[in-house]
Amino acid sequence: MLSFIGRRILIAIPTVILVSIFVFTLQKLLPGDPILVLAGEERDPQVIELLRAKYHLNDPLPIQYLAWAGQALQGNLGVSLRTGVPVMQLIKDKLPVTLQLAAMAMCFALLIGIPAGVMAAVRKGSAWDYGATALALWGLSIPNFFLGILLIFLISVQLNWLPASGYVPLSESVSQNLKTMIMPAFVLGNALAASMMRHTRSAMLGVLRQDYVRTARAKGLLEPRVILKHALRNALIPVVTIGTLLFGELLAGAVLTEQIFTIPGFGKLIVDAVFNRDYSVVQGVVLCTAVGYIALNLLADVLYVVLNPRLRTR
Amino acid sequence: MPPPSGSPRPEPQKPILSVAGLSIALRGRGRETSLVQDVSFSLSEGRTLCLVGESGCGKSLTSLAIMGLLASPPLEITRGEILFEGRDLRALSARDRADLRGDRMTMIFQEPMTSLNPAFTIGDQIAEAVMRHKGGTAEEARAKALEMLKRVRIPAAEKRLDEYPHQLSGGMRQRIMIAMALVNGPRLLIADEPTTALDVTIQAQILSLVRRLQQETGSAMLLITHDLGVVAEVADEVAVMYAGRIVERASVKDIFDDPQHPYTIGLMGSLPSLSGREERLATIPGSVPAPERMPKGCRFAPRCPFCIPACTEAQPPLLEVAPGHEAACIRAPLEQHVTEAA
Ligand SMILES: Nc1ncnc2c1ncn2[C@@H]1O[C@H](COP(=O)(O)OP(=O)(O)OP(=O)(O)O)[C@@H](O)[C@H]1O
Ligand code: SF4
Ligand SMILES: [Mg+2]
Repeated sequence: MLSFIGRRILIAIPTVILVSIFVFTLQKLLPGDPILVLAGEERDPQVIELLRAKYHLNDPLPIQYLAWAGQALQGNLGVSLRTGVPVMQLIKDKLPVTLQLAAMAMCFALLIGIPAGVMAAVRKGSAWDYGATALALWGLSIPNFFLGILLIFLISVQLNWLPASGYVPLSESVSQNLKTMIMPAFVLGNALAASMMRHTRSAMLGVLRQDYVRTARAKGLLEPRVILKHALRNALIPVVTIGTLLFGELLAGAVLTEQIFTIPGFGKLIVDAVFNRDYSVVQGVVLCTAVGYIALNLLADVLYVVLNPRLRTR
Repeated sequence: MPPPSGSPRPEPQKPILSVAGLSIALRGRGRETSLVQDVSFSLSEGRTLCLVGESGCGKSLTSLAIMGLLASPPLEITRGEILFEGRDLRALSARDRADLRGDRMTMIFQEPMTSLNPAFTIGDQIAEAVMRHKGGTAEEARAKALEMLKRVRIPAAEKRLDEYPHQLSGGMRQRIMIAMALVNGPRLLIADEPTTALDVTIQAQILSLVRRLQQETGSAMLLITHDLGVVAEVADEVAVMYAGRIVERASVKDIFDDPQHPYTIGLMGSLPSLSGREERLATIPGSVPAPERMPKGCRFAPRCPFCIPACTEAQPPLLEVAPGHEAACIRAPLEQHVTEAA
């Protein structure tokens, strides 16, 4: 078990290195010279030269990469070329906001998707099943920005129930924070809830046909226990794995959702950095995201094994 | 003249299970296909009834219907009565039936490899059956499970309690299923081909284990099998099924000494030929008709060497041909035809 996790982490390391090289190279290939941005209106050649030296931009690329990677390993992703704030600091400030949004969206998706999927499978072919399936199709096909704007119009503008924007940090006021986050979380989690429902439904349908479910009934267990213990426990194995992977997608979706609801999170950080050609910030953010994805994949693999006794006890 | 070895058995006591006119159909898309028809038998306390017949004749469906475990929909009981300890099971609420299952009546399935839940330990799964019906603490249930594992001769029982099904062989898993089925001391044990999926070498072990535990607990057993050797060894009564119907029902002695239905005779592997000599037959030629294309008359007619035109007109009813011996063949008893022809 531990050796499996160890091996899995070892496999992840080359991936991280490749990703970092890719991120680094991509930056170099992008059009626009950040030094010109920094040098200001006059573009004094001496200043430009000094800046280039300061940021090691005259060294050969592999040297630049190693220097950058070495610093990155120590948690130093450089400073924003624009504001001089350490990139790591920016990430530390913004990431929790996005993680909160994504976590809320995930909770919402799990709380809706799994029970709905279980019900749809247990009552297969019923009005409930068709209703849930149709709703899921709607949830998957409606674009986030459209749903977001629709909700802002209905709930904020027409009904005036929740604010459309005006993020309040969690540390300031929990209730105010939740008021501003609940709508974005719903918008972001909507598609995930739909796909969780579909995955849960199909996993449950597969499991309910198994002989061991019949054995559970043969023991005299009542239906709720047969379904929630014997069937769901097995159906959750693939669902949890897929859910972990979809959490990555959720983070990507957060970029757009944050724009709609003007939440100052990771998404806003990325968008601003790209528009300002703030290289070091973009690099740091992309690297951080990529490592996050790899970690999620790792987690999904590990969870799959942890939840599956057939793989766990070998 | 009384039968030679007719050991005077005590008159069968009151039946613990009696099935009357049971019919099961597959319902779907406006069509109804009859899979089991008009099955009747009864089983007395502590006795063993063997249900015999070729693959697909409806043995499992019959036993699942008794347990209340038919996959419904699409399968459904269309007619019939199932009395267990005098109670009409079909009239009971789902809750009352669940209270009987796993306690008073239990079942061992045909598929030991897939019948245990891969996500829970052996100990959990047996203890769960105890706690469901007998209550008590988890420790008591676990102790009961351990005791049962020892009774089904699982080596290193203590260690096995915390193992998962995939760590066990098929034979061991079937022992677990047996332990689970007998842990609450049922009055009726249904064993659906408990050894078919196992290695030949352990079939006999499992069978004698089931047999021994059945005798220890004094429960009645409905044993489904297509192995006539097993029937001869363990059965008190035998019911032979063909294509969803019972074609012959008798004591084990009568079935072997004096089979009346041509299908039963064919199953025995020897068929009295019309010339009076005995011929060995490996299998009965032909195959079972598909449920949707059942002949109108006797279902065995297309394969029956004794078929006469009258056989294809109406289904022969199950009639008594001798005391306690019933057969569904219009030409039974057959000997007279065989001797007449000779
Ligand atoms: N869930 C189901 N849906 C459709 N048909 C079924 C279903 N279960 C059983 N049948 C059909 O019912 C008939 C009887 O099946 P059953 O499982 O009772 O046979 P069996 O006598 O137990 O055979 P075997 O010796 O192979 O176990 C078969 O023709 C089978 O195809
Ligand atoms: S009724 Fe006719 S066809 Fe059917 S078993 Fe008897 S002899 Fe054969
Ligand atoms: Mg069967």
